[in-house]
Amino acid sequence: MRTGSFLVRYRWWIVAASLLVSGFFGLQIFRAEINPDMESYVYEKMPSRLNTNLIEEIFGGDEMVIILFESEDILQKETLTRIKEVNKQLKDLDGIDETLSLFDAKNIKGEDGAMVVDACIRRIPKTKDKRESIREEIKQNSLVYEVLVSADFTLCSIIATLEPEALDDDIVIAIEELLEANPGPEKTYIGGLPYIKANVAMEMAREFKLLMGIGLGIMLIMLYLFFREIRGVVLPFIVVIMSILFSMGLMPLVGWQMSIITLLLPIMLIAIANDYGIHMMAKYQEYNTLGNGASITSMAKGIYTSLRSPILFTGITTIAGLLCLLSHKMLPAKQVGVVAAAGIGFALLLSLVFIPAALSIIGKSKPVGTDNPIKKRWIDRILLYFGTMVAAHPRRIIISSVMVALISGLGIFFLKVDTNLENFFPEKHPVRISSEIINETFGGSQNISILVEGDILDPLVMQKIDLYERELKQNEAVGNVMSIAGVIREISMAINDEGDPYYNRIPDSRNAIAQYMELYLMSGDPDDLERMVDFDFQRAQIMVRINDGSNTALKGVLADIGELAGNDEHSTRIGGYGLIAADLADLVVRGQVMSLLIALIVVFLLLSLLFRSVSAGIIGSIPLALAMIILFGWMGYLGIRLDIATALLSSIMIGVGVDYTIHFLWRYKSERGNGLEPVRSIMKTLTTTGRGISFNAFSVILGFSALPFSVFSPIRYFGFLVMVSIFTCLIGALVIIPALVLIFKPGFLEPDKPKPARINWQHRTAWLRGRKAIPSN
Amino acid sequence: MRAIRKILISLASISFCFLFTNLAPTANSEARDIMNMAREASKISGLEAISTLKIYDAKGRERIRQTSMASREFDNGATQKRIIRFLSPAEVKGTGMLIYDYKEKNDDMWIYMPALRKTRRIVSSEKSKSFMGSEFSNADMSAPNLDDFNYTLLGSESSDGCDCWMIESVPIDEDIMDEMGFDRKITWIGKKDYVLRKAEYYNEDDELFKEMKAGKVQAIDPSGKKHMAMYMEMVNKENGRRSIMTMDKIQYNPDVKQEYFTLSYLEKI
Repeated sequence: MRTGSFLVRYRWWIVAASLLVSGFFGLQIFRAEINPDMESYVYEKMPSRLNTNLIEEIFGGDEMVIILFESEDILQKETLTRIKEVNKQLKDLDGIDETLSLFDAKNIKGEDGAMVVDACIRRIPKTKDKRESIREEIKQNSLVYEVLVSADFTLCSIIATLEPEALDDDIVIAIEELLEANPGPEKTYIGGLPYIKANVAMEMAREFKLLMGIGLGIMLIMLYLFFREIRGVVLPFIVVIMSILFSMGLMPLVGWQMSIITLLLPIMLIAIANDYGIHMMAKYQEYNTLGNGASITSMAKGIYTSLRSPILFTGITTIAGLLCLLSHKMLPAKQVGVVAAAGIGFALLLSLVFIPAALSIIGKSKPVGTDNPIKKRWIDRILLYFGTMVAAHPRRIIISSVMVALISGLGIFFLKVDTNLENFFPEKHPVRISSEIINETFGGSQNISILVEGDILDPLVMQKIDLYERELKQNEAVGNVMSIAGVIREISMAINDEGDPYYNRIPDSRNAIAQYMELYLMSGDPDDLERMVDFDFQRAQIMVRINDGSNTALKGVLADIGELAGNDEHSTRIGGYGLIAADLADLVVRGQVMSLLIALIVVFLLLSLLFRSVSAGIIGSIPLALAMIILFGWMGYLGIRLDIATALLSSIMIGVGVDYTIHFLWRYKSERGNGLEPVRSIMKTLTTTGRGISFNAFSVILGFSALPFSVFSPIRYFGFLVMVSIFTCLIGALVIIPALVLIFKPGFLEPDKPKPARINWQHRTAWLRGRKAIPSN
Repeated sequence: MRAIRKILISLASISFCFLFTNLAPTANSEARDIMNMAREASKISGLEAISTLKIYDAKGRERIRQTSMASREFDNGATQKRIIRFLSPAEVKGTGMLIYDYKEKNDDMWIYMPALRKTRRIVSSEKSKSFMGSEFSNADMSAPNLDDFNYTLLGSESSDGCDCWMIESVPIDEDIMDEMGFDRKITWIGKKDYVLRKAEYYNEDDELFKEMKAGKVQAIDPSGKKHMAMYMEMVNKENGRRSIMTMDKIQYNPDVKQEYFTLSYLEKI
């Protein structure tokens, strides 16, 4: 194994096995399932998810598609005719449980001493008088006004509740077709969670192709600029493709579904996994110079033996970093961590084995001049500038870096969390447009449900429900509250005259409440109450609609509910999608903190072990810690929110960023061992290894540069943030580490205490110095 | 002989043709006649009863309402007045309903709530609405207006051991369909007593969505001409709910006190 001769002997086997394994995993991708549901991000055992399921079981599903009609006056005959027709056809669609429109909603009113319960609009008004009287009635109807009709009567909605087993995509497509089949001058919009989820799934399928296309395109260009020969482009490219196939195919194989953050997986592999291949090919080109008469087989063996240890080591740190995601509470983050680690592992193996085997099959190519004098000059100049600056003012650099970090760090206090699916879409996207209308005009598209258990007809319980309804309506983020108490109030207004002590209030006697209910059951439709109270009046649901899906708003509403619930024995459970989103936000924050801490600990341990010195662990962790403080601080200042994708940042930072520190320290130690003074060693390291590190960092940054093209904001922001953080890690390794080394002159880097040489430093660092460690034969 | 046979055959076929051409209209008017008879049979000049209404949801949970009821015909049968009072459960005990069922116009309905000492008239134009929160509709509880439907006699079939006419009723227009809440109804009417034994309700998609069965038919008047079902069950196939109405006690009484059917009596407990 050490000499790599197996590579040549089994080259055909290796190539065939690589292709077969990748092909097998690639075929699994066809079985992949996309899951756009945020619910799956949260543990199944989370109380919010359990409660939501329980409440759905009692009162039916709460997933609603909202269809909006916009016209000058929605009460005009043509508009109402269209709404009536669409509503009628919607009811017949498979997967739709029931619909609520102006033609279904009830109007409870007192009229000439009678209580009238009737459909809000029974007949489409043909005269102006009739139209205006309906308008007045609607304005008085709290169950309809600003719930189904906007205050200015330009917008009207149909709310379709889905059957629990309905598929979002199918329903949304069917509704879109239905609207097309019933054309009219009114503008129509579709909204609601199922619509958002269907769009997430649809966009995701498109994004996988788009982002991968852009990412691979950038990679091809970069590879060509690096190597200027076909095999230099093709071999690392194949390795990346195979690792993408492997990791993406692994997901359905172990039964995991793709979520939004899975979109990052191929891009992460493009950015990170191509590195190993690049090193292998660079080494090949280094050997394959004009004067070198070595055979392709010995070259293949040479590349392998010289790069095996460093590639393994950097690969292991990256894999370790990604596996830190296992500490995250969010399921898709864990899954992406595992799958990406597996993909990196596979890429690493292929780079080490497949590339030399393939090279030995295709033979030598015409040598290409690898050194680009111009590029070398400007990058060297910058690196030299860093060196002189560090040498002259190491303390100043550290102090100013700490200052920058501290000031940036204050931004962490402004950091906000965002788990709102709506915000994932850009401003002009149909999802955003309809969501905004629904949030501004119709009470909001997210909901929290409170389950009340006990004798619902008991006035104390009913008044408590009423209190919830009234108090929660005070909260600005609450668009609308619906409960059985609201219906009781409506009835009380319909059967009592203004000024009557019973008017607009919950009666004090249980019998009176029971008789109100009986009255309603006699004149209305028992199904009307099904979502608010169960059959034997033992459980009631308070439905709170939220018009602001931000986590601060959700937290505010939840705090209000908590205060109201206090030690109330009756309000037993809280559920609903809004709550799941709030829980997810908690997971995002806790997961972020956890993964950061774990990341720092892992970095500390890795460096301490590698250099057998605790101070190595401390020194190496400092730039990473500063980079993280600066990153999250600026996220706070710039208003970029923590979301489901940022969770992956810290793992990538250690996985990739710490390599730079390790390379720098290795080289510096080796230069000191060669007898160079500290300052000269710094200069030497910066201009040699420093260059390698910089190229590597830029290639990673370029690899991630497909992400800003995404339609989803978490993915776009992630792209931007990962580029910034890799860059800060690079600066940390090139500026802060040298300054720290010069100030503290740590013992582990000094040559006078040689450690038992288990690690072959010469070999380790050879690839970074570009030394030819292979004899030509 | 041959000629005679020929004539006989042709005569027979001609009469058969006549029979055939006349069959459809005859069947339809016959259907209408049967429905009219059924309607007349359901009219009882005066009655007092105690009944129990049990409502079950899809999970089998039960809601029980026990009521006492009195009814009487006024204006030579053009108006039927009913008063219903809850006996149990305790929280609605004393709640009363007074219903004036007119032949020509929408019903009048008042409800008295003892806890509020208040009477309110209820206006509900839709006959399809639930009767007391059960699967029975208000339309099921009152005699239909004959002119609202077209009738077809589908044949004879026995239901619950009783030989019945099978008649299809289709509302004459969409408004009545909306009001009644069904697009088509098939009823089984007992051939001897003209009492409804079974009914099937079909929706827009011509799917059976509600089914009613009636049983325990008894003669209730001394002459034995008026019959009534003591048991009625309605099953809603759409939501899995079921309602059962039983007559626990029934008393034929054409001379029920007229003052029972007044608002002041409604408010008296």
